[in-house]
Amino acid sequence: MNDKGPFRLLSTREIELLRMQGCFAEDWGRIEVAEGFDPASVRNSHFSGSVRLGRFAGSVRLPGGFEKPSGVYNAVVSNCTIGDDTRISNIGVHIANYDLAERVCIENVATMQTNPGATFGNGVEISVLNEAGGREILLFDRLSAQFAYLMCLHRYRPKLIERLRGIAREYVDSIRADRGQVGTGASICSAEEIIDVRIGPFATVNHTSSLRNGTILSSEEAPTTIGVKVIAEDFIVAESSSVTGGAMLSKVFVGQGCQIGRQYSAENSAFFANCEAFHGEACSVFAGPYTVTHHKSTLLIAGLFSFYNAGSGTNESNHMYKLGPAHEGKLLRGTKTGSFSYLMWPCRVGPFSVVLGKHNTTFDTGDFPFSHLEARSDGRCAMIPGFHLTTVGTVRDEAKWPRRDRRKGAAKRDAISFEVFSPYVIGKMIKASRHLKELQDATDRSVEEVAVGGALVKRLLLRTSQKYYRTGIEMYLLEKVVQRIEASLDDPAGDGEGAPASAGDAVYSEDWVDVAGQLMPRKRLVDLEDALETGSVATLDAFDAAIANILKHYRHDEWIWVKKAYEQVFGVSPVDLTGEQACEAARMLLKVRSKFLNLVTADAQKEFDESSRLGYGQDGEAGDVERDFRQVRGLYEENQFVLEMKSSIDRLHRRIERIEQAIGQRQGTERIHL
Amino acid sequence: MSDVERRVREVVARTLKIDPGRIEDRSRFVEDLGAESIQSVELVAAFEEEFDIEMDEEEALDVKTVGKAVEFIQRYV
Repeated sequence: MNDKGPFRLLSTREIELLRMQGCFAEDWGRIEVAEGFDPASVRNSHFSGSVRLGRFAGSVRLPGGFEKPSGVYNAVVSNCTIGDDTRISNIGVHIANYDLAERVCIENVATMQTNPGATFGNGVEISVLNEAGGREILLFDRLSAQFAYLMCLHRYRPKLIERLRGIAREYVDSIRADRGQVGTGASICSAEEIIDVRIGPFATVNHTSSLRNGTILSSEEAPTTIGVKVIAEDFIVAESSSVTGGAMLSKVFVGQGCQIGRQYSAENSAFFANCEAFHGEACSVFAGPYTVTHHKSTLLIAGLFSFYNAGSGTNESNHMYKLGPAHEGKLLRGTKTGSFSYLMWPCRVGPFSVVLGKHNTTFDTGDFPFSHLEARSDGRCAMIPGFHLTTVGTVRDEAKWPRRDRRKGAAKRDAISFEVFSPYVIGKMIKASRHLKELQDATDRSVEEVAVGGALVKRLLLRTSQKYYRTGIEMYLLEKVVQRIEASLDDPAGDGEGAPASAGDAVYSEDWVDVAGQLMPRKRLVDLEDALETGSVATLDAFDAAIANILKHYRHDEWIWVKKAYEQVFGVSPVDLTGEQACEAARMLLKVRSKFLNLVTADAQKEFDESSRLGYGQDGEAGDVERDFRQVRGLYEENQFVLEMKSSIDRLHRRIERIEQAIGQRQGTERIHL
Repeated sequence: MSDVERRVREVVARTLKIDPGRIEDRSRFVEDLGAESIQSVELVAAFEEEFDIEMDEEEALDVKTVGKAVEFIQRYV
């Protein structure tokens, strides 16, 4: 930005030239120009108030590669600073109270204006999760999923909420300004109105209808796009995101790497990292990282989601025409809802579960991960706990989420733990297993089904579900211990790169929590909240640093949790193993992991079975079914995912052989310290 | 018909809610008897309870027909 000068007043000759080129100023004495200013680049324009014009020597490069000369053409400009090599052209009403940086292009815009005391979407309160209010998030342009989560969900700590709001308010006050900004290299083309909107560097605003009271965060490495016919008010859109295709946003936060478009409409909602929302509608939604809804007639309302996939026609109810829309629902991470599934709030669904059908009763299965929740004909929920542990979709998800992180640039505002298997989920599985065992022991064989958190579980399946959970628990714990064994064998002294990291100041909690995509021991969260309440964490920087520190300690915290859980499950501490115990753990991992992968590939195989071929070979003869299917879907044996699963079984065999060899070569009764 | 075979057919009929007369040794659970994946899980659970055994999930994957189920269960009982 060239607003610090040196600027000078126009010469009489320059004013004369500008007048001859169709320019008018209410007071030429308030028009200043940069050194090297050339009046030839300013034509047919009207200036009012204080205006500073940069040096217009170069050209601006537009999306698509076109270049146009910088300068001011056919514009009404009031109280603006226009940076070097910026182009302003065809401004219908005016552009007022803006500081435009270098190489900005603004063309065919009707109105662009900042009003006094604008906060650019900062300070707007949005009623997420509970449409009736009481869980408002205060928007600001450094809002992270974790900050929002605490502000929204931990209302049982009023002092904490007061502190968080104080931090946010202080930041909002620092943003308040009488002039808006457009960052270097931003391009704004064909917009009807842009009022009180701050636009970051290298952002593209293209054919947008109306933007009011908002911030578009953007940077050269993480540019943001606002596209055709978007209408947005009271909003913040973060870096690397795109809001396009006639999307309508009102009181909405769009985090980094999100894609919102194809006529999606949202109000009172927050979307955090890498969400995708097309066609449907969101109302009072807390969309944690990787919330995905792609289809028409999908209404997400008054819900908490993350790593979520909404099938077409997914719908929820948050009131029953009684005391208003006061109910809320929580689908814990990794949940999927099938086509035309319906949930009646209040309701809570455990991590990585699949919901099918129309559920006319409420239930809480939050502590039963990987469950199958299907509505019966009477609307009650039939649950098979753990059923989806070995479904191919879950395994694919774990691989795809990190690959689909669209956030560019160094600053990633939301902390994300991508793990499917973690102390958070495995802890729930251990508890669920225990609960199912108690139910199994206490239930007579004459009983057909038992109620679990309002859902119904067939008594016969109580044992089956325990088997599912046992597979997951053992596989996770053994994998973690075997990884440590491998690291220890690679670096027995424990001082190299391959050595296990020291637990150091690791924190243990039996219960882990999922704070809007970030997993942590519950104690870490409580400690942070205590620190916020006492004021030892009192700024946004301190909050972000605390969150980053928790993320940094994930592996350490995880390991001390694994140690305790391993001892609890296997009856032996994994800290100090004999060679035989280490080999035994490795062999057990091979067995349980191979079984898991085989079950997953068997699930994948169902996608190639006879029933999957229904309708193939259209208009052909019998043999064409197979030929058509093969052309379209390929062979099971050649499927990339299946090959990867088989290859991971081979890799696991090699790992275990290597461990056994390494332990076999060790001296005497030397123990392995993990 | 052996005792195991008779009980297997009873369990299949009860779990899949089908006429026992439709069940033959060569009947395939999915294609012929219409067992969906959840019903397949329920079948395994029902066999386990009926015969007081624990079936290996991986091995159970290969049991595609009633006759194979009888053979499989006979190994456990």
